[in-house]
Order: sequence, then C-alpha cells, then structure tokens
Amino acid sequence: MIMPQLNISIIGRNRVAESIFTLLNHDSYESASLNNDSQLARADLIIETENLERHEKINNLKRIDGLGSRGATILTSTLQWTATEIASWLTHPERLVGFGGFDDVNQSQLIEMAPGLQTEPQHVQLVKDQLKLMGKETEVVEDEAGLVYPRILSLIINEAIFALAEGTASAEDIDIAMKKGTNYPEGPLEWAERIGVDNVYAVLNGLYRQLGEERYRPASLLRKLVYAGWTGKASGKGLYHYEQQRLNRSRDYQNV
Amino acid sequence: MEGVKKVAVIGSGTMGAGIAQVSIQNGYSSILYDIDHQQLANAKAQVFQRLDRLVKKGRISDEESIQAKENLRVTTDLKNLKEADLVIEAAPEILDIKTSIFQELTAICSSETIFATNTSSLSITEIAGYIQDPSRLAGLHFFNPAPLMPLVEIVQGISTNQATIHRLKDFAEKIHKYPVVCRDTPGFIVNRVARPFYNEALKILNDQVASVEQIDRIMKKSGGFKMGPFELQDLIGIDINFATTKTVYSSFFGENRFRPHYYQERMVQAGRLGRKTEGGFYDYASTEH
Repeated sequence: MIMPQLNISIIGRNRVAESIFTLLNHDSYESASLNNDSQLARADLIIETENLERHEKINNLKRIDGLGSRGATILTSTLQWTATEIASWLTHPERLVGFGGFDDVNQSQLIEMAPGLQTEPQHVQLVKDQLKLMGKETEVVEDEAGLVYPRILSLIINEAIFALAEGTASAEDIDIAMKKGTNYPEGPLEWAERIGVDNVYAVLNGLYRQLGEERYRPASLLRKLVYAGWTGKASGKGLYHYEQQRLNRSRDYQNV
Repeated sequence: MEGVKKVAVIGSGTMGAGIAQVSIQNGYSSILYDIDHQQLANAKAQVFQRLDRLVKKGRISDEESIQAKENLRVTTDLKNLKEADLVIEAAPEILDIKTSIFQELTAICSSETIFATNTSSLSITEIAGYIQDPSRLAGLHFFNPAPLMPLVEIVQGISTNQATIHRLKDFAEKIHKYPVVCRDTPGFIVNRVARPFYNEALKILNDQVASVEQIDRIMKKSGGFKMGPFELQDLIGIDINFATTKTVYSSFFGENRFRPHYYQERMVQAGRLGRKTEGGFYDYASTEH
C-alpha cells in the first residue's frame, strides 16, 4: 500500500527535534520543516519536543493550536507533564499523543507513545504508521510523566548522582561498576552527560510533582548542575567536570 | 610491602570456589578452606571440571590447566592458612561466622596478611571492628559467576588503610578484573545504583502503565539494555533480588528510594522465583516442548 506522504512540522529547540528532522531528511522526506511557524497550517502531523520549561511548552502548544489546522495530529514529548495535562491546554485535545522524546531518536530502535485520556484512537494510529515508515518500532503505554525508559533510566542516574555527591566512589568507578558489574551499555553518569542532565532533571521533577513521592526527589547535586548549566556534552561541562572541580577546590582550600 | 603471592579462600560454596578458580588460573598458589570435607571435595572436583572444559573449548592450554590445578590445595584446618598474604572470606552472610574466622586467623597469619571479605550485605567497618588491626581488612566483592564477571568492588571501611586498598587493587588487576574502589555504604555501588532498574519497573507494572513484556522490550530497544528488568529478575531469582532490595532498604534505615515493592514479595510468596522454578514473570517450562 502506498501512503501519501504526511506534511510534518517539528517545533522544538533540542536534540530530540533536530534528530527527528535529520531522520526525515535522511529518508529524503520532502515535506518536513523545523521551527517554521509558517508551515504549521499545512501540517498533518506536528511534533513538539520542549522538555524543560513549562511556559515554553505552553507557548509552543498554544501557537500550534492557533496556527495549525484543527484536524492535525500533535505528537508531544511527555517527560515532565502527562499527555492528558498537555492536551488540556488545547481547544481540540483529542488529537494529542505523548511520546518519550528523551534521547536522540537515532539511538533508539523503538519509540514509546502514550495517549492522554482525551485522545482519539485514529491519532495514535497515524503516529504509529508514520514512525513505522521512519523505521521505528512502537509501544503504546499508559500516560504517566516520563513513560517507561526515561523514567527508569532517570532514577538510575539520580541514584548514581546521590552516590557521587556522597563520595561513595569516583565518577569513573561508578560508570565502570555498572558496565562491568551488571552489563549496562553505558555508565549512568556518562549516559546522563550524553542525554543531558537537564532532561533527567525534567523527568524526575515531573514524577516528583505528579506522584508526590520522596523516591523521585532529584539529588541536590542534580539541581545544582542544572542551575550552573553543567548539563553534559551539549554544554561542554557535566558530572565529570564537577568532580574535577571538587578535587581542585579541596586542594586549593587546603593550600590556603 | 610486597605484592600478594599466596592466597587463601574461606568457604567453598559457589562464590568461594569461583574465586579460588580465578586465583589459581592467574598463577596464585591458593588454598581453599571449608569446615565440611565433602563440600570441599565437591568444590575441588567442580573447579577441575571447569578447567577441563576450558581446555576442551580451547580457551586455555593443557599446560595452563595443569599449572592451575597444581596451584590449588584444600584444607579443613585454618592453621594451614598460616602463609597466606591475602585471605578472601566467602563464608555464609552471617556476622558471627565471619568475625570468628577473622579472629582465629589474626592469631594464625602474619601481621601483614590482608583480610578481605566477599560480603555483599554486611558492613565492612562492623566486621573489621572485631579484629585487632582493622586497617588490614577491606571488602573484596566479586560478582556471580566469579570466573566470568569482570568487576570487583574494593570496599574501604572506616578503618581500612590505603596500603590495604592498593594491594587489593594490584591483586584484582593481576587476576584480570576491573577493580573499583568505594566507601563502605549500603549496597556498595552496583547493588545500590541498580535498585531502580528493578524497583521502578515493578512500580510501573503494578500501576498498570505497561506490561512485563512491554517494559522489557522498551528497556532493550529504546535504552539498549541487554536484558529487560523482568527477564533479568527471572534469571537472578526473584527471591534473591527481593532479598537484596530489602537489605539495601534496611541498611539505609528505610530510605524511601529503596522501598521494596509488595508485588515482588507476592511473586516470592507464590513460589514463582524465575527460571529456577520454571516460572517467574515469564513461563519457562512450556518452551522446552
């Protein structure tokens, strides 16, 4: 069956948005745009990826709601807020589908999606078909902040950061331990640097607020890294930089 | 201080026998101790069998196997551990058993012998507190199966000195393991940082966010993990995994992040322990037919 190419608009200033755009271009997809509001009216599928700032997310969704056609399907990353909450910001909430926009999409063979309570099934189907065309498997799970993989990985990273902050072991030893002791594909701290410490913080913060449980409380060091802008590879500084600075400082202060 | 030359391993269960095998294969003259004659004989036979299998598979040569076998002695008398430079204790996880062994060895071994415990759940500092010179005692935590798993955690108790840590690090490298050093904290590194992989997966499952199969598939295909959290619990044993979580939780005095999930306890109560009972989160018996 030959399906007509969907017109796709991507809104978001992060690696998730860029990697989706790159993937579509790689497939010589002609009708895709990135952060181009003038294309929103033509789009059949609008993908939105803001994970950090709530006002930015609301702003994006309101623009999409105003400029996009009312029948367009909206796929939005749901790391910090549920699809149900995000859909509530729209005049037509039944067309919104959440997804785990956490990592560079080229790193993942499979994309998780979650419909909100208001979502109608044809929009889920449209997203599934499109992702399949892009070579991705899908799983549809229930709507909770952080879905499955971002949620579990963020908790592992949080624990590794607690351990680092307490001086349990060096950053390098924590990463080696998890790779060699239990076969993780990457150490949790280097993983955090690649994905972005700010994205991990977004997931934890979302779960902490949604579910109100102590177990989701982000480590104090994690918050501080976000404030300092030491969020990992993308910013050039992260957890390993923090550790080096801590060592230097304790030496400097001893020399005073 | 010289490097380790002679090694003693206490306890000839799965871990003890595995550690002894690693030690003799890497050229260390080693003595394996157990109170139980029969158990000791079985362990020795098992190690020899594994060496023979490695020869058959072409992983080691005939000479290497013969040399390794010559490196191994077994004993039921602690006095024969007199010459050990390093004692690795892999006795049952009962404080009294471990401390009384170390107390006896303090009188038998030289004042430079290093005492290492393979405990995964007890405090190194607490065990060290029972011997005269706690600076020579540290944790040396191998992972099961010891001959295959490449990591050892070297655990520094409050009183452990740096020389002891350096000598253990050197030994770990000589037996071709990756050593990591950590403070004496509950679960050390791996058993602590890995808790959410299982615990949060259980919560996601129990909250009906996703199924067992979905969670495993997502963690493998989105996250790149080699096994999903439920497949892995079935392999490890759900009871073993549950016991580890309980220990870490109570050692942290009830820190909420480590709270075990009641659903995991239900699985244990149902006797669905994983592969070893042919059923856990998945069924295994039917795949045989």
